[in-house]
Amino acid sequence: MLRQPLSRALALTSPVRAAPLTARRFADQVQAQPEKVEVFIDDQPVHVVPGTTVLQAAAQVGVEIPRFCYHERLAVAGNCRMCLVEVEKSPKPVAACAMPVMKGMRVKTNSDLTRKAREGVMEFLLVNHPLDCPICDQGGECDLQDQSMAFGSDKSRFTDIHFSGKRAVEDKDVGPLIKTIMTRCIHCTRCIRFASEVAGVDDFGTTGRGTDMQVGTYVEKMFLSELSGNIIDLCPVGALTSKPYSFAARPWETRRVDSVDVLDPLGSNIVVATRTNEVLRILPRTNEEINEEWLADKSRFACDGLKRQRLVSPMLVDSRGNLTPVDWEDAIVATARALRDCPPDKLLAVAGDLADAESLVALKDLVNKLGSENTCTEQYFPLEGAGIDLRSSYLLNTKIANVEDADFVLLIGTNVRFEAPLLNARIRKSFIHKETDVALVGPKVDLTYEYMHAGDSASIVKDLATGTSSHAVARRLEQAKRPVVILGAEQLRGPEGAALLAYTQQLALKLHDKLADKSWKVLNVLQRTASQVAALDIGYKPGVGGALQGGPRVVYLLGADSGVVTREALPKDAFVIYQGHHGDVGAQIADVVLPGAAYTEKRATYVNAEGRAQQTLLAVSPPGKARDDWKIIRALSEVVGERLPYDNLDEVRARMSEISPALVAYGDVQDNNYFAQATALAQSLQKSLSGKLDVKLKQLEDYFMTDPISRASPTMAKCIQAVIKQKQSPY
Amino acid sequence: MAARETVKSACKNVRPLVSADFCEARRRALGLYRAIYRYIPYIVKHFDIPKSEEDCRWKLREYFYRNACVTDIRVIDMLVIKGYMELKEMKHMWQQKGHVMAHWNPTLEPKPYDFIGKFLEGID
Repeated sequence: MLRQPLSRALALTSPVRAAPLTARRFADQVQAQPEKVEVFIDDQPVHVVPGTTVLQAAAQVGVEIPRFCYHERLAVAGNCRMCLVEVEKSPKPVAACAMPVMKGMRVKTNSDLTRKAREGVMEFLLVNHPLDCPICDQGGECDLQDQSMAFGSDKSRFTDIHFSGKRAVEDKDVGPLIKTIMTRCIHCTRCIRFASEVAGVDDFGTTGRGTDMQVGTYVEKMFLSELSGNIIDLCPVGALTSKPYSFAARPWETRRVDSVDVLDPLGSNIVVATRTNEVLRILPRTNEEINEEWLADKSRFACDGLKRQRLVSPMLVDSRGNLTPVDWEDAIVATARALRDCPPDKLLAVAGDLADAESLVALKDLVNKLGSENTCTEQYFPLEGAGIDLRSSYLLNTKIANVEDADFVLLIGTNVRFEAPLLNARIRKSFIHKETDVALVGPKVDLTYEYMHAGDSASIVKDLATGTSSHAVARRLEQAKRPVVILGAEQLRGPEGAALLAYTQQLALKLHDKLADKSWKVLNVLQRTASQVAALDIGYKPGVGGALQGGPRVVYLLGADSGVVTREALPKDAFVIYQGHHGDVGAQIADVVLPGAAYTEKRATYVNAEGRAQQTLLAVSPPGKARDDWKIIRALSEVVGERLPYDNLDEVRARMSEISPALVAYGDVQDNNYFAQATALAQSLQKSLSGKLDVKLKQLEDYFMTDPISRASPTMAKCIQAVIKQKQSPY
Repeated sequence: MAARETVKSACKNVRPLVSADFCEARRRALGLYRAIYRYIPYIVKHFDIPKSEEDCRWKLREYFYRNACVTDIRVIDMLVIKGYMELKEMKHMWQQKGHVMAHWNPTLEPKPYDFIGKFLEGID
């Protein structure tokens, strides 16, 4: 794609399609660099590794060769012929994307022959392409448009002498997310390669030859993948466009704001496209360390949930028990009165899945000032042993990008495919390209690649840790040079959670002791939500179970919508304060509702599962009377009489850095240690395990609605309907 | 010849508006102050404004102190003339209650500067 920044193409140093990360090299991986060969691109000499293609060599000297089918992260197809270049002493032009360089090769990327070849290719493509740019959603970001302007001929020899019309192809129906206009397809096969290589759903393919060639799913079938939206970005023309975004806006009308996704724990980097104070669509932003250039469907398409079910005004329960809209002043005064009148030990604050670090800090400071220590998160994590004192016991220590270098991945009680789709894409990538093996302890689910299923009982983890297992997985773990153990945080909820964590820590430590390369991290805990890591860093207690036993009189829900706090679990006279952006589970049980801002509406910090702090930026302003979350708590603190000592965002962040400098080190991720100490502390917790490991998200239809934003999204509802319908079809 | 022209233009005195020197301008300003000060009881009486004579005197004082830094005699003269015009408008009842009250900006709401005020207003 011509729109990709050159810097990325320049970073490609090796011919393999590995992500171009130089920082990620482990001791036993450094291979002897083969001797470089010299080639000449437009008479500029460049030294490259043998096996580099002409196109990559040209990118190194800053010459961008036009292409349609070539994509750095997909296999080379070489079928669009747009990258034809002239090579000296070669009788015909060669396809630069597939041609490896040879010593002393002289490439001419701008000669008459090259230009003529491009013009020819362009002419053929346009002969078979409809002239519907004015009504095409790709207009303005279309590679065909751009390249025909830059490299095409100024005239066409196409005349419809028989008035038979241009080639036309019937549209396909591949689900509620992707709109297909197959007449526009130029057969670059990027979508086919993405589906089979990255998404792991081998449904796309071509039928027919020549003019009759068609890209499609053979039988009418939905594209059943959690990464399906990416083929919209990959399509160089308007054949695959976004259905929810169709006919909504042109790219030059929208304002683009860099942000971070919060709907899964990975914190994928996104660009929010807005117009007239409305989020129109969300696109991925390249970050090699996290999401490469992909984005999961929920993160991409749930943005229409930001316009529905929103809390736009403070609400207070009236004499008849109904929530009625009131002014901020009344709501704040009522809330402050409840907080002031509450005995400190009966005050409970619960942080939800989408809470940002700023509001978490402000709420904890307020509750502590009022004399209470009861601040919890909804997700559970065992506090026995080292608990959350050591950061390494609740983070994804290996880091997302490094999972690619693993040679054995052991998943314990997690369906990575739906809990963190882009982590699963990484595992799949190394499974396909690097012969990584995967084993799973937990229910049998479709991970889009083959894996060894070790069973679903928790005792298997114990057997592996103590070395009493004779399973094939144990043998493979023994031999692994860079093993990765990923434990799903969901499994730690039950009474056996602490023991499971203790055994997993022991297993990881045992594997780590044998490694030649001690900088490799083995233990990973995959959190389920975007807020959990920040909350644990700040010092929230995981899980509300114990705090609810105490019979709290005032409960402050900071976006707590998972339904772990219910009216039944609370005393009759309990006063529930809900602060959040969607009218969901939490707001239903509240006595006061304080409307906050969603992640596209505030500048806020989120810490992803690796422990990497990232910030969202303000793309649109909060609707109605909604306010920034930390400001609500700050205003409340003043009325309560326990003024928090910060008035602006910089001061809040200074306070955050006092608690943990990692919370404001944006984009950075620290290396974690003390695995041995955590294991030693957990030694006494190693009891027998008898339960079965089960995951909540098993099927694709479970994936789409997991949080207040996606539950409010009509697109996500349509997805679930379509998936269920597809499951009933015979194909 | 050219040099003489330059010197001439540089040394040229501006034509005075009314007063010839600063003392005279000051005398006129004091005269205006006295005139208005003596008329204040009638302002309060005729316009029926919710202000006391004390308030009006403070307002008068405020206006004069606002221009205390003016040193240009012609500007002082102009301000004095405008002051007399204002006084005349009030004396002849050409101004009405609203015009007089406008000196106190009764409809202007003060911008909040503290956190809670800004929060309730919704200003960042």
